[in-house]
Amino acid sequence: MKQIKLNLNGEIRSVLVDPTETLLDVLRDKLGIKSPKCGCDRGDCGACNVLLNGRSVRSCLILAIETDGQEVVTVEGISQKGLSRVQETMINKNAFQCGFCAPGIIISATELLNNNPHPTLEEIKEALSGNLCRCTGYLPILEAVRESLEGGKNE
Amino acid sequence: MRDIRKFDARPKLDGSWKFLDDITYEGMIYGQLLYSTCHHGIIKKIQFPKDFELNEFTIVSAKDIVGKNLVPEPEPDQPFMAEDKVSHFGQIILGIAHPSKRTLISFIKQIQIDYQELPAITDIEECLENEDNVFGREIIIDHRREIELESNWIHSHEIYYTPHQEHAYMEPQGIISIWNPADRKMFVKATCQCPYFVKHAVEAIMGKAINEAVIETSEGIGGAFGGKEDFPNVLAGITSLLAYKSGKPVKIMLDRADDFKITTNRHPSRIELHTYTDPATKKIMKLNVDYRLDAGAYQTLSPVVLSRGVLHASGGYNIPDVYIRGRLFRSNTPSNGAFRGFGVPQALAAIEAHADKIASQLNMDPYDFRKTNIFKVGNEFPSTQKITENHLEECLDRVVQKSDYRKKLQEFKEWNVAHKDKKGIGISMGYHGGGYTGNGEKILNSKIKIIIEKDAKVKIFVSSTDMGQGAHTTLAQMFFEAIKHPREKCWVQLPNTSKTPDSGPTVASRTIYIIGTMLQKFALKIKDEMGFTNLEEYVASHQSDFPREFQIKFTPDPTVSFDDNNFRGTAYKDYSWAACVSEIYYHADTYQIELKKIWNVLDIGHPVNLKIAEGQVEGGNIQAMGYALTEFFYKKDFGRMQGFTDYSIPLSLDIPEIDIEFIHTDSDVAKGLGEIPMDYPAPAIRNAFHNAAGIFINEYPLTPERIFKQISSPKNHRI
Repeated sequence: MKQIKLNLNGEIRSVLVDPTETLLDVLRDKLGIKSPKCGCDRGDCGACNVLLNGRSVRSCLILAIETDGQEVVTVEGISQKGLSRVQETMINKNAFQCGFCAPGIIISATELLNNNPHPTLEEIKEALSGNLCRCTGYLPILEAVRESLEGGKNE
Repeated sequence: MRDIRKFDARPKLDGSWKFLDDITYEGMIYGQLLYSTCHHGIIKKIQFPKDFELNEFTIVSAKDIVGKNLVPEPEPDQPFMAEDKVSHFGQIILGIAHPSKRTLISFIKQIQIDYQELPAITDIEECLENEDNVFGREIIIDHRREIELESNWIHSHEIYYTPHQEHAYMEPQGIISIWNPADRKMFVKATCQCPYFVKHAVEAIMGKAINEAVIETSEGIGGAFGGKEDFPNVLAGITSLLAYKSGKPVKIMLDRADDFKITTNRHPSRIELHTYTDPATKKIMKLNVDYRLDAGAYQTLSPVVLSRGVLHASGGYNIPDVYIRGRLFRSNTPSNGAFRGFGVPQALAAIEAHADKIASQLNMDPYDFRKTNIFKVGNEFPSTQKITENHLEECLDRVVQKSDYRKKLQEFKEWNVAHKDKKGIGISMGYHGGGYTGNGEKILNSKIKIIIEKDAKVKIFVSSTDMGQGAHTTLAQMFFEAIKHPREKCWVQLPNTSKTPDSGPTVASRTIYIIGTMLQKFALKIKDEMGFTNLEEYVASHQSDFPREFQIKFTPDPTVSFDDNNFRGTAYKDYSWAACVSEIYYHADTYQIELKKIWNVLDIGHPVNLKIAEGQVEGGNIQAMGYALTEFFYKKDFGRMQGFTDYSIPLSLDIPEIDIEFIHTDSDVAKGLGEIPMDYPAPAIRNAFHNAAGIFINEYPLTPERIFKQISSPKNHRI
């Protein structure tokens, strides 16, 4: 077991981890962060996506010990000071059905919009192509991301 | 028809919505299932690994069952756990629990089971081609008339195959059970569609050991599509047994590979059609259907899938002489179960491809052929139920018109001459009966409870679950819109069998159609009886009457009757109708089909919440697209796929444009919607490929591999 320190959603958290534990398990079971979901535990579905130093990663494929001293942001962090514009448009458009894939998709969309504030539809599709959704057929989600671009910068 | 934002939209977006795996209880331990890797055999020996403290584990087998080792619903023929014999791969042998997930997983991996193997049927082809494998009740729909076959009638014969389909709900199956010895109650938290099925299952396995099982769903149910209709019964039974034996709360979450390997799937089918068509009138005169489903090792709910399948097997065609035979076939694979469409996607895969086959034999446009043969008011289904509206034909005409079908057909024909790649356009049409088949709704006898509080808050208690489809938003909407009550004063409560009466399972496109309609009628009834125009004002001026509780019961329509033995009569009171056009682009070098656009025109009656309704159509279309094009679940000599790495569901990059139009929206009835958008698109995609490449394929999915094989050896293309 090793003590690691994370900047988690803007707060320094230290936690004792086994070298084989994934970031997903440590977030969910030891740090009380439940928004990243375990949909497959092998990097296929994207439900566990988090931002690691600003980049979206599969938290089920990252060992917690590798993230020592780094910055992790989850949907809890993004939502701390009110919801972002893309979250609000997703709500208004009923973009999700069951919502299990939603946290992962918000992470992917946030990463995209941080790096590319005016993506094309193809770029949005590409950015979300690592997130599986079985309920919606993706259309309302893509539309929500696109609609969130209207009227200024996403924050 | 108003768009109301879903009540759960916000918590689902800020990460606070709780799914089953987000919940923990004090002292909770983790469970896993040990299941058979042998398809058929006798269990000789179970050997536990030596380097573990056995007494740290709670282990249950069939011997620990206090009640009956038989899942009571739907068809009581499946044991919860294997006794000394296993009948299929994935059959549960042991439930095992431990405080540490990691220790548990490594322990289970090292358990060795020796089997004496017995002959097994593991391949779909082996299962469906051999008539010795039939089991359960055969269904015959006999609508034969004394029609003499004419020698010039065109005989069209084809066998159509459809594969397994995995639900691929994003949240895997899971259960938490908590045993309370003080009141002898088993509390079960479930991600499920049918809390009362789970209750009956837990009470069956626990027998006299408990007084009662109380089932509450988790706040979030991460998709279901039929997959959480019957498997949760088995899982809840075993989890409860572990909770009882260990005395601790037990959570079992299946990992994705286990979920793929041992839970239910869509039934593979083999549907053989013979038709005889008069070349003069272009009318189908005679249809013979042999409809077979691979049920898996046990019947469970296959008999009802079969009955819905055969009732939809003749499609939207008026055929004077029809004979339909439906049978279940046994295999040594996990029982197949409910999946959105419930036998209808298979039925339409056959009849809608066959319509195009006959049309090409007649050298006729598939739309014109359908127009010539579509049923009209006064015609009847093979069950003798009368057709009372021409809405199917209206859907067909409208979808052809708005997709510019005729023009595109001509354009593509010309374009294809000059190009190696091909463009294609295809049609399909279908219908889906709402609610349980035949007398089912009468037998279900659904109940609803409503409490109106002193502050005019209306609490709705139903066992219908919201698994993402928006049922709880729409159900509340049907109540408050009927009497113009404020939206924020009307809520559907979380299903809990100790508080919510049995309003039946959340299946069969019945939730809005049956339960929603009951709520709407009830709202109007109390308005009438109490004589109010504004419920809030009425409650304020009659404070002593509140809180008040109401019980509502389903009232069957006395004019509706169905003969279950002969499959005659009103199979479904109301049908939803739909027609579809799809446009594809075929990449000849890679044998890939790219779906460009789907046009849907549906009559679902009154769409209560347009956005939610459109969401159902979009989601259903994309599941159907996966079914038609990419979702390969089982391969001979390989077995089942084990996750999303090898089972390809559509991604955001794959999706086509989708156009949706509802007609007859001013209807008083909100008909079934959940399933029909999954039923009809796959044949339209297949037909579009036929139109593009001139290659007739009788089996899904139309993967590049299958197309390549079909081109290189047209006679032997089953893969």
